Amino acid sequence: MMFRRLTALLACLLGIVGAAFGAGDWRVPALTKKLSNGLVVVVSADHSAPTFGLCISYRIGFRLEPEGRTGFAHLFEHMMFEGTPVAPKGTFDRVIEGGGGSNNADTRYDFTEYVDSAPVSALDPVLWLEADRLRTLDFAPEHLDNQRKVVEEEVRVNVLNAPYGLFYAIDLPGKAFDRFPNAHNFYGDFRDLDAAKIQDVEAFFKHYYAPNNAVMAIAGDVTPAEVFAKVEKYFGAIAPRQVPPKPDLTEPPQTAERRSTEQDTLARVPALAIGYRMPPRHSQEAVVGALVGELLHNGDASLLYQALVKEKKVALEVNGGVNFVFGNPFEYDGPTLLTSFIIYPPNLKADDVLTAYDAALNGLAAQGPSPAALARISAKMQSDWYSNMEVPIDRASLLSHATLLDGTPERVNEIPNELARVTAQEVQAFAARYLVKTNRTIINRVPAPPSGGKDRGEKGAR
Amino acid sequence: MTRRFMAILFLLFLAVSPAVGTEKETPLPKGLPPYGELKPFPAPQTTSQKLANGLTLWLVPRRGFPKVSYALAVRGGLAADPQDRPGLAELLTATINQGTATRTARQIAEELQAAGGDLSANAGIESIVITTSVLASNAETGLAVLADIVRNATFPDDEVDLAKINAADHLQEQESDPSFLAERALARVLFAQHPYGVTSLTQDAIAKTTAQELRREYARRFRPDQAILVVVGDFDAMKMVASAESLLGNWAVPSTPPVPAVEKPSLVPPHAVFFVDRPDSVQTTIALGSLGPTEGSADYAATQVANTLFGGMFGSRLTLNIREDKGYTYSPGSFLTPRRTVGSFQIWAAVRNEVTGATINEIAYELNRMATTSPSEEELLHAQRYLVGNQAIDLQAQDSVGRSLARLWVLGLPPEELGRESERIGKVTIRDVDKAAAQYFPAARQAIVAVGVEKVIRDQLAPFQLEVRAAP
Repeated sequence: MMFRRLTALLACLLGIVGAAFGAGDWRVPALTKKLSNGLVVVVSADHSAPTFGLCISYRIGFRLEPEGRTGFAHLFEHMMFEGTPVAPKGTFDRVIEGGGGSNNADTRYDFTEYVDSAPVSALDPVLWLEADRLRTLDFAPEHLDNQRKVVEEEVRVNVLNAPYGLFYAIDLPGKAFDRFPNAHNFYGDFRDLDAAKIQDVEAFFKHYYAPNNAVMAIAGDVTPAEVFAKVEKYFGAIAPRQVPPKPDLTEPPQTAERRSTEQDTLARVPALAIGYRMPPRHSQEAVVGALVGELLHNGDASLLYQALVKEKKVALEVNGGVNFVFGNPFEYDGPTLLTSFIIYPPNLKADDVLTAYDAALNGLAAQGPSPAALARISAKMQSDWYSNMEVPIDRASLLSHATLLDGTPERVNEIPNELARVTAQEVQAFAARYLVKTNRTIINRVPAPPSGGKDRGEKGAR
Repeated sequence: MTRRFMAILFLLFLAVSPAVGTEKETPLPKGLPPYGELKPFPAPQTTSQKLANGLTLWLVPRRGFPKVSYALAVRGGLAADPQDRPGLAELLTATINQGTATRTARQIAEELQAAGGDLSANAGIESIVITTSVLASNAETGLAVLADIVRNATFPDDEVDLAKINAADHLQEQESDPSFLAERALARVLFAQHPYGVTSLTQDAIAKTTAQELRREYARRFRPDQAILVVVGDFDAMKMVASAESLLGNWAVPSTPPVPAVEKPSLVPPHAVFFVDRPDSVQTTIALGSLGPTEGSADYAATQVANTLFGGMFGSRLTLNIREDKGYTYSPGSFLTPRRTVGSFQIWAAVRNEVTGATINEIAYELNRMATTSPSEEELLHAQRYLVGNQAIDLQAQDSVGRSLARLWVLGLPPEELGRESERIGKVTIRDVDKAAAQYFPAARQAIVAVGVEKVIRDQLAPFQLEVRAAP
């Protein structure tokens, strides 16, 4: 969700949604080939328009950035656009935008993706550029100094100068988890960002940016045979490298509710963030959890909107879901949360909101969803999931992530069936087991008077 | 009356190799392969017709992707709000889905969710646009709910009361967001008392608006002869026309006059600094702006190209300067916002406090450079290709096609414009860009809004010796 440039943050906040229902039988084609250097290539042909979308995802996200280097995975993402010895800074955008396209990148917990979209006439130069920056980069210190400043402005605009400061995405995991990989500030402490050296950039590149640590998906007006041949031509000679093994990310169990209050000198209306720890990613319960997250938060028909905004009148806005705001509820591969972000009226107390919130969740645990409610959310998730695969760039992104995290692009077509099989009993059992006080963390963020010009801790730890 | 047409978006690859740099440009890498042969880009194929009651219907059937997107627009947005109820259109859109003669708010939400959709109702400057996107198998349900909302909304008293309370708190929340503050201030600076100056509600308007007023404004704006329905996606055109006829064909035209057209503003915004004091800000949110061309005007395409190479894409002069060279900001940009009678040109950047003045200096330099010197051939070509290619990519999404077509209608333009825009962009010359830039880009023409700590803004901008006052 930390983009190289500002794009879809709003879309994220409004709830990028995933999951589906199998009734429609709309499937996207996907053919896979693994190069001898380990690069996995997925192709999904769609000849409805003469364009293509490309997504190359590397199995490195902010979860694995080293201690003392918070924010580094994202800072590194920016360095991928700073040129190479043969294609100096500026070339990349010049060729892609000048070819009628655009590009971007973003860093998530467990991967970093680089995306390009262009008329199909630009396919060869785009593949050449992506291969070029996988060989090596221009490790010039002035590029790091420049992008460090840019990233610090990104943090200011999205965190330090923004009401709420993404506390539901940064502070909440910080309190809900106990171990550094899952709990640290992924956007980066300014002391850590300032301390990053060009040697760190080189080491990170060497460790993680290897063809055998990546999945590239291409969707659009192409044929699999054509793409496989071109990828072999441009990427085939890049040598595989040893990638560090994935460390153990397991959290010690949570045994008690965790509650805290934060003061916000920029906000004028109070807000709550509530996070429940989720079951392991590769489990049937994770599929149920994805559905429950949407049942609670997806749109005006959702359980929490109806209960908190309409019936009890204790909230202005309710947003959330599993993996909120880091993508859809399947785009992670480690400890994660089902999050509710609630903005509530200034004349109420947090407990007024929580009482109504608990009543809604307890109801779900006691009775489960009605058959109609379950059918509705299945249809909505199917519809939303389809939209995530409508245009080539989004489809490439989804296919790349599924292949990286599940080993097969077909997961994007299977998730609808998996969700369609979720029963009311499973939802009820999930709510009873996971949506309980001892499994949650709550932050109440309240407006505070202006600090009067005191240092607001830009250089301090968050 | 049915008219079919098929426009072609020309992709303007005037040369097949990217290697068209001038002496100013670094040569491209030796091994970089050239662009391939260009394929023409088919513009969305639109069927246009009018029902007997005057409702305009634009249909874009596209097989394959199994969803259908609806966009229903009516004339009369924020600029049509009563003078003592600025922003009323936002309350109207917040409550239009809160009940009809036969459906409660909850039933509306649940029926749409079951069809795979959400309802989005947005108050624009000159229109209100309601959209929903549903599974193709439930296309009929989507249209039935949409038609019910635009014809039979009841604005129940209790729902309006709740919406007003929430709107008051929501406005308070919005006022903590520097972009909201900058946008509101810039509109007021550019348009003063003219209706285009309204971009949001005020606490006073929220307090005074009644359910009865909402019903009256709804009746005034939601009428078939001042509305369009755009449908894009996987549907049968004949069946869709029949559905539209049956659900909307007997929507009666009132005898009262429609919302009058907005008059063209005559003022010239001042070249001065307007600040919004926001204590504890660690950045200054800068927004410069001036009046610009309308979408129908002869110099619009040239201004679009000028805007793109100035600040409308990543490889633009503004981004390369204040982000990629100086590191002052994360996401700078410039854009054109056309309205029916006049447009605006805006430049935005959020920068750390200590480089507020330096950023204004660089923006002024780049603006005046545009106004006084010509771009290179490669810059022109880069901007043209970027605009045409990315518009074509954007129009692959159903929702984008629906919104784009509804926008054209609101601006009084025909659907063929989707193809013509690209043709016109392709014909823009360096001379055209020079002329547009000389007219709209001079720094001395721009009003400057700055949201942040007042003292920082005053100190940082003192060297420019501009008048500094609190934003209206």
